[in-house]
Amino acid sequence: MPEIFIDGHRYEFEGDHKVLQFIQDLGKEVPFFCYHPSMTAPANCRQCMVKAGQYMKDRETGEYEVDENGERVIRWFPKLQTSCNLMAADGMVILTQETDELVQRAQKDNLELILINHPLDCPICDQAGECPLQIQTYKYGPEGSRFEVKKVHKPKRIQLGPRVVLDAERCINCTRCTRFTQEISKTDQLTITSRGDKNYPTTAPGREFDDPYSLNTVDICPVGALTSADFRFKARVWEMNQTPSIDITNGKGTNIDLWTRDNLILRVTPRFNAEVNDHWMPDAGREAYKIFNENRISRPQQKLDGEQILSSWNNAIATLSEEIAATDNSKIVVIASPHASVEENYALSKYTNLLGLNQPVFTPHIEEGTGDDFLLSDDVAPNANGCRLLGFTELDKASIKKEIKKAELVVILHDNLIDREVIAADDLKEKFVVVFATNNSDTSKAADLVIPITTAAEHAASYVNVDGRIQRTYRAKETKYTERRLDLEMSEGRLDRYGTNFDNWVTEDNKIDCLPVWKFINRISEHSGLECNFNDGREIMDEIASTLDSFTGVSYAAMDEQAGIQLSIKKETSTSK
Amino acid sequence: MAYEFTKEDLREIEKIKAKYPEVMPATLPTLWVAQRRFGHVEPEVQRLVAETLGLPEAHVHGVANFYTQYYKEKKGKHVLDVCTCLSCQLCGGYEILHHLEETLGIKAGDTTEDGTFTLNQVECLGACGYAPMLQVTNDKYVNHLTKEKADELVDKLKNGEEPDYEQMKMPQHKNI
Ligand code: SF4
Ligand code: SF4
Ligand code: FES
Ligand code: FES
Repeated sequence: MPEIFIDGHRYEFEGDHKVLQFIQDLGKEVPFFCYHPSMTAPANCRQCMVKAGQYMKDRETGEYEVDENGERVIRWFPKLQTSCNLMAADGMVILTQETDELVQRAQKDNLELILINHPLDCPICDQAGECPLQIQTYKYGPEGSRFEVKKVHKPKRIQLGPRVVLDAERCINCTRCTRFTQEISKTDQLTITSRGDKNYPTTAPGREFDDPYSLNTVDICPVGALTSADFRFKARVWEMNQTPSIDITNGKGTNIDLWTRDNLILRVTPRFNAEVNDHWMPDAGREAYKIFNENRISRPQQKLDGEQILSSWNNAIATLSEEIAATDNSKIVVIASPHASVEENYALSKYTNLLGLNQPVFTPHIEEGTGDDFLLSDDVAPNANGCRLLGFTELDKASIKKEIKKAELVVILHDNLIDREVIAADDLKEKFVVVFATNNSDTSKAADLVIPITTAAEHAASYVNVDGRIQRTYRAKETKYTERRLDLEMSEGRLDRYGTNFDNWVTEDNKIDCLPVWKFINRISEHSGLECNFNDGREIMDEIASTLDSFTGVSYAAMDEQAGIQLSIKKETSTSK
Repeated sequence: MAYEFTKEDLREIEKIKAKYPEVMPATLPTLWVAQRRFGHVEPEVQRLVAETLGLPEAHVHGVANFYTQYYKEKKGKHVLDVCTCLSCQLCGGYEILHHLEETLGIKAGDTTEDGTFTLNQVECLGACGYAPMLQVTNDKYVNHLTKEKADELVDKLKNGEEPDYEQMKMPQHKNI
């Protein structure tokens, strides 16, 4: 097998490897800026220098040549090489900054050059704390600068497009952003203008950077040159904590991270998943943070004389039990939801089973034209396939409407049927309507009883994407009834851990009075003497996996380990475009 | 004003495209065709080039902006690029520049009102051996400049004559 020697250690490899990537995959480091594993490597930042050479082999015998001391003879390449575009070769010898002074010097000098015209904006720069330039400079950079002349000034605060703002002075011209529009989103909207110390990325004159994937450039920009118009100046990275999650605004199931401070989700960034979204996400999904924070329903609400008023959990439970008891089973329709997780849907169906009601029905949420050939599908609900795999009856809009017409008691799980025009508010007249909801909507307003439930940011639960991959969320945000410090699965930022009420950004205000669907089901079952006891999503998933063939082998541990699990779905049920 | 290529231009562009396996390398020569036709490659002309070649506008913009030889704004009929880089400066480049500023009544970087001349101050044009020098509209070099030689050049251009092509020789040293 081909072998390569890095800093004196021997490694075997197979296939094509760029030296920089190979070193990273070993868990070691060479500093770099312009390289990105999903794009071409133009090697223009020059930061990833290593010393490279080749052990000499005798052409005839194929043996390594040795000198008089018995050491293998190395032929060094005449100059240092950029490791990002250097292909590993059999018998290659690499020295990094760990072992070679020349490499250390080259990396240091390169940083000094890059910093010549770089503004010292760190204290007010959004990138600070997650800035490769800042980090590399601390680790490998010079103590100071020998450059004593006035810095070159370039345009600042340019609104490149509706969502992205450019500070050209901070740009190090790595071309990651322009390559992204050329190679990944394929809109070709960005280019580098001018040259030398005057260059920076820009659109063609009079054009906007309105690429539907534009915010990915903010993520991959190795400095604070590109910032999100929405997020800039909102929070410092070190004040937030980061929790893995799944995009719930589309059926694609893009893997994301939620960034939380003081129980508010402040931004959404993509999380790498080679099977689903690689390093990217659509701009549309970034707006979702608002769903978690704004317009939430806190505390159950009940209609009294045609007006919704705040109620209590006990009241809500008693009311719903009474309504169910008072209504003929055939007159009750329970509507499950492609917007709710597998666990929530399952818990609800378990309850309806125990009551001897009909299986829940659901209708998928398709918005024609939303899909593209990349990370968006026409199916805008995160879990339609989950409902299918749970064996719920899938109905089209008209049939759902018919079911509702026939019923006297309508229970709707987390699906804004009125807002998405499946039914009209009038269709619910003269019926008792119970809505499990996260946010206020026309649908929740039409309800006689509103049960506030947790969002994907407040519960750990699974969603099956359009391609049949089941993936799960983690708890990112506390509710009135959860406690970050007691919940070992919740991430804690510095402020979460050490903040006191005297700190900025530490309040109790942003905790919503809501319950996971299954907790509510526990309580209402207990009330009516039924046996339902779910502690958390993990337990529910274990139960599902042991009872339903379509979920065999699924568990939280397995999903975590494999970044989601591919389930077998009927092809025609996939609406992925 | 909407810019359009003539039929001839388009034929020439087709010929250019035929030379390369891909369209992208045709950007530079096509920008030249455009600059010859319109005298500049303003954003709208860049857009025309992009449309004609079927290339992204941003790409054409980037290329046009990389090279100083493409005029990204309207210029005078004759563009005088006076070198004031080290060698020329030592040999009187600034005097020539200031002299031309006076004669033409404009500052470096400006264009005369009648649109005949644009005067620029530029960095080394690689003719240090014949300093001080200037270049006329991306084309001929005028070397070993004196004020008189500069006046002569301005008159010639005003009269619609071409500047002479000067054959330069490197100084020969016998003792090498
Ligand atoms: S880009 Fe990085 S190094 Fe530059 S000002 Fe911002 S945080 Fe500091
Ligand atoms: S804006 Fe950022 S990503 Fe784009 S070239 Fe500059 S440093 Fe690179
Ligand atoms: S990462 Fe290798 S040159 Fe930029
Ligand atoms: S300094 Fe003027 S041509 Fe080189």
